[in-house]
Amino acid sequence: MTMSDWSKVTRPIPIPNEWTKPFWDAARRGALELQRCQKCGNFQHPPYATCVNCVSTDLKFEPVHGAGAIYAYTIMYHTGDKRFAGAVPYASVIVELDDAPGALMAGNLLDAPYTEAKVGRRVEVVFEKLNDDVTLPQFRLTRE
Amino acid sequence: MWENRCKVAVSGVGFSKVSRSADMPLAAHALEAVKGAVADSGLDMSDIDGLATYPELPATGHAEVDGISIVSVNCMMAMLKLPSLTWHIQVGTTNIGGAVQQAVNALLAGVCKYAVVWRAMHNPRGTYQNLPGTYAQGDTQFTAPYGFGGPGQGMAVAYTRWLERHNQNREKMATLAATQRRHTQHNPHAYFYGVPLTREDYLTSRMVAYPFCLFDCDIPVQGAVAIVLTTADRARDLKPTPAYLAGYGQRLHFEVAGRIGSLSSYMEGGRSSAKLTWERSGFSPKDVDVAQIYDGFSASVIYGLESYGFCEEGEALDFIQDGRIELDGELPLNTFGGSLGTGRIHGLWHIIEGALQASGRAGSRQVKDVNVSFVGASAPIVTGTTFIFVSEPY
Repeated sequence: MTMSDWSKVTRPIPIPNEWTKPFWDAARRGALELQRCQKCGNFQHPPYATCVNCVSTDLKFEPVHGAGAIYAYTIMYHTGDKRFAGAVPYASVIVELDDAPGALMAGNLLDAPYTEAKVGRRVEVVFEKLNDDVTLPQFRLTRE
Repeated sequence: MWENRCKVAVSGVGFSKVSRSADMPLAAHALEAVKGAVADSGLDMSDIDGLATYPELPATGHAEVDGISIVSVNCMMAMLKLPSLTWHIQVGTTNIGGAVQQAVNALLAGVCKYAVVWRAMHNPRGTYQNLPGTYAQGDTQFTAPYGFGGPGQGMAVAYTRWLERHNQNREKMATLAATQRRHTQHNPHAYFYGVPLTREDYLTSRMVAYPFCLFDCDIPVQGAVAIVLTTADRARDLKPTPAYLAGYGQRLHFEVAGRIGSLSSYMEGGRSSAKLTWERSGFSPKDVDVAQIYDGFSASVIYGLESYGFCEEGEALDFIQDGRIELDGELPLNTFGGSLGTGRIHGLWHIIEGALQASGRAGSRQVKDVNVSFVGASAPIVTGTTFIFVSEPY
């Protein structure tokens, strides 16, 4: 059995701040929005004070399609982080979205054996509700 | 070339006992290392007039208590009460290599004569990464909810990217682990001195964060190392043969905080630091007789070898095979055992070994006929610094 058991995991709850609130607000609505430079059009993640491409400060959050590919991943076996000990081994992935090249998003590979994590494999966003206020964007293998 | 090449040298070096975890205050380790370095130089403590360190505690989620879990410049000043002290600094944007570089700059500026740099590393009893939090704030809000708890995973994601983009095989890393452990047997100060490691041990060890197994990770320890730096003229009058600093560099590339897994960050960081070092010293990778490349996680050696220019991208795991990194090989590598052999003391031990090899003081692990000794003192991504030491000023 190579499916990770997430049922006993207590994920730390993200605390939005001034820069990141629109991202989490969108996720709660089941939408993926990333920070985009209004001058050069570059998407970036995580949110930042300036455009990492052209240093403009004119940044807004805009919707992106949740389709992309695994840029990199690791499979965690160590139980040092007690909050996640119940799920080991599990795959944590870094995803590059088709709409936002260079904007790397972290996630877990859900609904698939952790051994399915491979660089370049196609994934799509899914949303995991943590509580009434916070929903996490997550990823699963693309379903044709 | 740099007009200040070979004007500063490493003189004495010092080591504390390295223990698995804290059984005495870290300040005691730091003092032991600093006293050792001063004595090795043939100096008295009252000669020391410059102090520099990078005190950060890498163990996540533990309190920073000066003297217990870190040893700051203030702590060292309070302990030593140096009568001649004229200069000190604590750095932030680079690891301990940056503290060494600042000491070099202070010596060149003439604001001190004999500077001591130390790195003291704490390993708390119990869990190293103390991650009990219910919330993920700041940079961690986009990573911690997905179980990215420690630096091992951040490094591991770049490693899968490297392995799969280049169709490489992690089992080739067994050569690095076994070779460095053999080198460790020539370094009595190292944590794993007297403890052998075979290729089979590596290949059958438990996985920690794939692709890293246990022996891809340096073991957290409690200990300290220190060096004395001085001007070349003064160094020639001291007991040890000087190791002359031919050039140095630091990473000039930084991506947004909280971004994770970008292999290109390692490569850009390493390239920028090495470029400065090659240009300042006038040397190139093919001139290097011996290299120390930071190996807190084994994959850092890959990024170092490639971004510093010792081999092409995607080739590092092939480059280290066939005896090339042995003590009598074409590029003897991490000849003191590296962090994988000494335990997690960060990059000052790499700098020490680079200097010892250049000054012919490396004992039974001394590489023959060393002139150009290269050091990559931290993982290139965040805190990378690079150095070249030479035995012959030019």
